[in-house]
Amino acid sequence: MKGNKNNTLQMWALVVMRVLIGWHFLYEGVAKLMKNGWTSKGFLLQSKWIFSPIFHWMADQETLMTVVDQMNIWGLILIGLGLIVGALTRTASIAGMLLILLYYVCNPPLVGLHYSIPMEGNYLIVNKNLVELAALFVIVVFPTGQFAGFDRIIGKILRK
Amino acid sequence: MTEKPDQPIEDNKGKRMDRRDFIQGLATVPVLGVFGAALYQQASQGKTKKQTVTSAANVSDLNVAILGAGAQGQVLLNACLKIPGLRFKAVCDIWTEYNQKRVYRMLKKYGHEANCYVDYQDMLANEKDLDAVIIATPDFWHSEHTVACLNAGLHVYCEKEMSNTLEGAQKMVEAARKTGKLLQIGHQRRSNPRYLHVYNHLIREAGLLGRITSINGQWNRSVQPDLGFPEKYAIDDATLKKYGFKSMHQFRNWRWYKGLGGGPIVDLGSHQIDIYSWFLGTNPKSVIASGGTDYYNKAEHEWYDTVMAIYEYDTPNGVVRAYYQTLTTNSSEGYFENFLGDQGTLHISESANRGGVYREPNAPAWDQWVNKGYISEPELANAGSGSAVLDVRETIAPDKHEIPIEFTDPYHQPHLENFFNSVRGQATLNCPAEVGYETAVTVLKVNNAVETGQTLYFKPGEFEV
Repeated sequence: MKGNKNNTLQMWALVVMRVLIGWHFLYEGVAKLMKNGWTSKGFLLQSKWIFSPIFHWMADQETLMTVVDQMNIWGLILIGLGLIVGALTRTASIAGMLLILLYYVCNPPLVGLHYSIPMEGNYLIVNKNLVELAALFVIVVFPTGQFAGFDRIIGKILRK
Repeated sequence: MTEKPDQPIEDNKGKRMDRRDFIQGLATVPVLGVFGAALYQQASQGKTKKQTVTSAANVSDLNVAILGAGAQGQVLLNACLKIPGLRFKAVCDIWTEYNQKRVYRMLKKYGHEANCYVDYQDMLANEKDLDAVIIATPDFWHSEHTVACLNAGLHVYCEKEMSNTLEGAQKMVEAARKTGKLLQIGHQRRSNPRYLHVYNHLIREAGLLGRITSINGQWNRSVQPDLGFPEKYAIDDATLKKYGFKSMHQFRNWRWYKGLGGGPIVDLGSHQIDIYSWFLGTNPKSVIASGGTDYYNKAEHEWYDTVMAIYEYDTPNGVVRAYYQTLTTNSSEGYFENFLGDQGTLHISESANRGGVYREPNAPAWDQWVNKGYISEPELANAGSGSAVLDVRETIAPDKHEIPIEFTDPYHQPHLENFFNSVRGQATLNCPAEVGYETAVTVLKVNNAVETGQTLYFKPGEFEV
């Protein structure tokens, strides 16, 4: 990035991507919040691959699951808000990447793994989670919040 | 992780905050407004419509008697106790030591002071201020009880099957016409808000199923022992004989005996076959059936424990073949009715809000009905065991839409409310005598079809009295 001039159009393009990802996160959180009795239990229970014992164990702990579900819902909402308005953009993006990584390793579309939850597309190793994760990585390394977002205002205030 | 100010961006080099910083800093906030608006619309779409059958505000008290206080009478009574404006004045049942006492005590608990009778004629002679009576006696008594009550000036709610004979049922229709009193037959799905929603909106208004081509339905039950009774409460033989029963066992298990009841096809099938004709808007042309007492002791189970029947309907839109089965030896899938059309499938059951509508992949979109709140948004069909390869001969599984009507009251409550509201002149009966008669004709024919082993055709005018 050094010496790189962030051309305005490039920056706006990244801002658009950031806002769209933010929207997706926010609605994923809000939708789960609105669905009475939503829980990630089913998702965790059908975990495959090497980390599945951990996810299965989690799904069996009732109290833990309440915490996990709440953290997931509010994590999604806060990350979504952060990305949309460009506040603590970098923290939000990295948190988002970690969250998506968890989803991915819980149920990765690897060769030989079959899932009973229907998916809306066809995936081999790469799925939309992974694409969104990579997109967030782009958001992490470009200072879009400094360009268009609360971070710009926060930055100015802190610098004074 | 803390945010560090990044390398200055070209247009963000100034030390002080200016107008541009402010505008660009808040540039994406309006997106939240758009999100909020979209969320609001999303949330208000296809929202569950809570439909409740409300009784009129000004309820005048009706004086009611219950004739037949056995298991079904108690089911009806439990529903009635949730309906305002009813005063139970009399209970009539020949099993004084058990049914009669039990219902009397229950009524007392809820503040009703009821007189007890063994014989319905005594009740009619003594209770002069009754408005209505609920009849839940065995089928072979329905006709005599209903006709007598109508002639005594009472409005009658009579359990189905209307009668075990068509002659009996005819007399009931005629008595209702002659006296001008109301006679509601207890096919309670006719007042169920979920069934009404499906009939009025999904079938008639939206025509969601397209051309209905076939129907299938069933009521499967597990093996059940015969009903017993506490020896010390047994009714004496003279009384049993007077009221048409050979023994206490027969009194308890009358549904299995010819001449008293109609067997499971009538007890269970009648409710659902009634829905076939209601939804199709016509009566069947013919019926074939197979059945028999295959499992239980034939001496004590004169009526068939297993029946499978196929009706043929001629509707304005074409032929509909309708299958129905009742098993009393296996409970697989319980009870439901399925209506299959070229554009969709309706699966519905009285049981615990079970049901849904499934769109055929080639049918026109149902979005407008989702938006109107008639059906829920679709749930994606489960594609199956992870295999993405579809056999070319298969069509993909249709999406499921829920029927967005919640119904948590006792099953019989809306039908009873419809009856009492009609008595007050604030509604019209959902299942008057004529409709009950049509269903009796339709259902009783199945037993004939089993006996003869032939296709039986309904004669023109057979459904009318």
